Amino acid sequence: MKFGNLLIAGITTGSIYAMFAVCVSVWYRVSNILNLAVGDFAMVGALGVDNLYRVKGLPLPVAIITTLVVVAVFAYLYDQVVLRIAQDGRRPIEGIVITFFFTFALSFFIDGVAKVLFGTDVHAAPTLWGGPALTLGSLNFERAGLLVLACAVIIGGAFWLYIRFTLGGKALEASGENSLGARIVGIDTRQYRRLIFIGTAVIAALFGIVESPITGFTYLSGATISLTGFLAAAYGGFRKPGRALVAGLFIGVLEAMLGGYVSAEYGDTVLYAILAAAILAWPRALGFESAVSG
Amino acid sequence: MNQFLTASARALAWSSAVASSRAARQVPRGGVPSVIVLVAGAIIVLNYGLLYTGSVFVLSACYAIVTAGMAVQIGFSQQIAFSQSVFFGVGAYGVAILNSHLHMSVLLSGVVMVVAAGLIALLLGSVVTRASGLALAVATLMLPLIAVGYVSGTDFLGGPVGSPLNGTLWPGGGSTTLVALGGGLIVVVLLAAVVFIASRILSSDIGLELFVLGVDERTAAALGVRTPRRKLELFVLGCVCAALGGVVYAGTQQFVPETVIDPTTELALLIMLFIGGRRSPIGAVIGALVIQYLQGASNWVSVNILIVEGVLLTVVLLVDPEGLSGIVQTGIAWLRGKSEPASAPADLAAAELAGAELAGAELAGAELAGADPPAAAVAPAASAGRESPDEIAGPDARDATLLEVRGVFKEYGGLSVLHDVTLALPGRGLFGLCGPNGAGKSTLLNVIGGSVAPSSGEVIFAGTDITRRPPHERFYQGISRTFQAVHLIKGRTVLDNVAVACLASHTASIVTRIGRSRLDAARAKATRTLADLGMAHLADREVSSLTLETQRMVELARALASSPRLLLLDEPASGLSEEQRQRLATLLVTLADRTCVLLVEHDLALVAQVSERIFVLSGGHLVFDGGPADFRSSPVVNSLLVGS
Repeated sequence: MKFGNLLIAGITTGSIYAMFAVCVSVWYRVSNILNLAVGDFAMVGALGVDNLYRVKGLPLPVAIITTLVVVAVFAYLYDQVVLRIAQDGRRPIEGIVITFFFTFALSFFIDGVAKVLFGTDVHAAPTLWGGPALTLGSLNFERAGLLVLACAVIIGGAFWLYIRFTLGGKALEASGENSLGARIVGIDTRQYRRLIFIGTAVIAALFGIVESPITGFTYLSGATISLTGFLAAAYGGFRKPGRALVAGLFIGVLEAMLGGYVSAEYGDTVLYAILAAAILAWPRALGFESAVSG
Repeated sequence: MNQFLTASARALAWSSAVASSRAARQVPRGGVPSVIVLVAGAIIVLNYGLLYTGSVFVLSACYAIVTAGMAVQIGFSQQIAFSQSVFFGVGAYGVAILNSHLHMSVLLSGVVMVVAAGLIALLLGSVVTRASGLALAVATLMLPLIAVGYVSGTDFLGGPVGSPLNGTLWPGGGSTTLVALGGGLIVVVLLAAVVFIASRILSSDIGLELFVLGVDERTAAALGVRTPRRKLELFVLGCVCAALGGVVYAGTQQFVPETVIDPTTELALLIMLFIGGRRSPIGAVIGALVIQYLQGASNWVSVNILIVEGVLLTVVLLVDPEGLSGIVQTGIAWLRGKSEPASAPADLAAAELAGAELAGAELAGAELAGADPPAAAVAPAASAGRESPDEIAGPDARDATLLEVRGVFKEYGGLSVLHDVTLALPGRGLFGLCGPNGAGKSTLLNVIGGSVAPSSGEVIFAGTDITRRPPHERFYQGISRTFQAVHLIKGRTVLDNVAVACLASHTASIVTRIGRSRLDAARAKATRTLADLGMAHLADREVSSLTLETQRMVELARALASSPRLLLLDEPASGLSEEQRQRLATLLVTLADRTCVLLVEHDLALVAQVSERIFVLSGGHLVFDGGPADFRSSPVVNSLLVGS
């Protein structure tokens, strides 16, 4: 049952990509900034919990909560200090400088701090649900993978419910469609920018904690995670969290299938070539034209 | 050591002689920055070449060659392509393999690899530069990812370790000292050459094209810029610079580690570019120097380099998005401003324009009524593209049909925006196009201008079927347009905004501008157009400092500067006061004497006042076609436009 197991593996990694893609695209909607530091928050989540639990000896729930609170506070401070000057100041930064490249600096900064705090070795947060893989016929389900899927469904569902059914979600959508218009009708877009930034940072950290037992993280793992999130968000047209989610799942499954059936060594290379060809062939259908700004 | 000090003194004397002779003649285009790079670089190499500082400098110069190219491609022209680390790797690995496996000299293999990189970039670029904006960025992001997978799995490239070299960049051989200093000097000379070429291109008329391309690709195309060609040229330029950087890296470091092709190299290069100043080649060089020195410093800075880079980049961008070079420029401007009394005029643009523009309308009328119509002043590129300039010389020919739209349909998805639209316009006169919101007016304008292709139907201009022709070719044939929202080029003066439409550089290759710029000719023509419209005093103002009316006038001046045969105006009066509208109306009537003007406008009174014939679109159908008198009394028009 190779196909079935590859599919399970693909959906698991795909749901990780999907969650980071949702984080990137939701915040891009409200801020017009691509958060390329989202993976670094995940790394901090995993390595932070590992450090507090294994090295400092705190109980696991305390370690998790402390880490998430630290991430939230840091995200709040970054918004209050840096993003306020960058976007709300007398001379807001415009164009590609802020859209593409601004959060690189944040990513570098977080990685540097993580190197000082956690060292350079591979670590992972402790498994939250230990035990041997569950089997169903010839299908194998890793427990960590199931946990990732469960988190993805719960968090993704909560996001969807929030955007679809609450006033806050509508306001969020409005500030994404037209920031100035949203401000005119009384929506505080800055507040949403801050709220979503903190929210996505915490969700990313949480996902890092859940995901890390599968892959293991170093202080430099953030960039790779951000990249996968960025790619999946890109194929969702950057502004569409729903499409980003589908794109993330699709990329994950495609990656697993290529690795399993084409070449374990060059599977990723083929994957990236396919993804590049897809953009060049159907830029409009993949939502790129509408996302192009200035 | 003595001979090197003598050589350094000679290099300094020669370079300063070059600098002063240039400065004496005229304002140099890119001369000064490259001479500074050459002199300072030579001094550093000759004095510190054998020390650690010198080796860090040479390494940073290798990266600076890459970032200077990125300043042209990514910073200035905003074509974001993540191809640098790959082509850096192509250059570096190519030299390593040619040198160690095939025993070719480093210098020769470097030349071979730069040429090869250019050819590869040409092939690759002709595929990827079809994409724009984010699509281009994401598609090219795959390049380093693909390359990493390939390199780490290939033993021929040294596998996970990398490739060593047998030779050195310095061709002569000799003592270790000579090899180190000679190699360093070669890198400095190449860097100075790249900075020179980059600055020359950016300060030329093609530089203005690239700036517009960076701000808005569609506007650039509507103004005659051959956007596909320019994008390909930029891609090749960026890749060749990257490969050159890789070549000298391999030649001076003697070893090519696997990490050169890593996406982190791409990130490091981008950080250098943005810290130094993305639009300025010399800024990109400064950025490479700063980052390499920080990384090379053997203290807490290099240990915590990620934190330092993160904080530095954030702070620099917050102070000035144009990076360190922007900060330096602001500083210089501030110092100059302190030494001279402030001479900036108060923003009384509207008041200034009010008197001037009326005079302008008269002036324009006088000029236009003259015996020799401005067809003679058409830019060479524009007149070359026309069917026959003689054809429009006689008054009879001008009344013949100029534009025909035949049975045009346009659907977006299932939505029909234009439904069987047919109309014909003669060579001169003023024609109105009205309709409720969403009637398809702007789409029809886009179909005529070429930025939107119709689903079916034909557009005939001056007897030629132009339905499938790109916007820039239509511009050469004499179709000029303004946009509903003002599409001026922020960060440039009024003069340059008008000069964009007077460029004769569209058919020229980017390489030709290393030699001679024709920007002055375009600016001279723009100056005449502005003077004709009575706006000469606004020439040096930055466009975003102007009022809306003045901005619309600048856009109109830009549309007129190319002496178009067909002028498409998309709601030129929106946002203007009643008084401003009347001035605009006077001007439009004058223009219509020699040109065919198609005016999309919501102000029905204005349309009826100035137009000789009016078309009304509703739901994509042409529902009315007649003179102003019928227009006022038509029940269709009344129910559609007045009632709503």
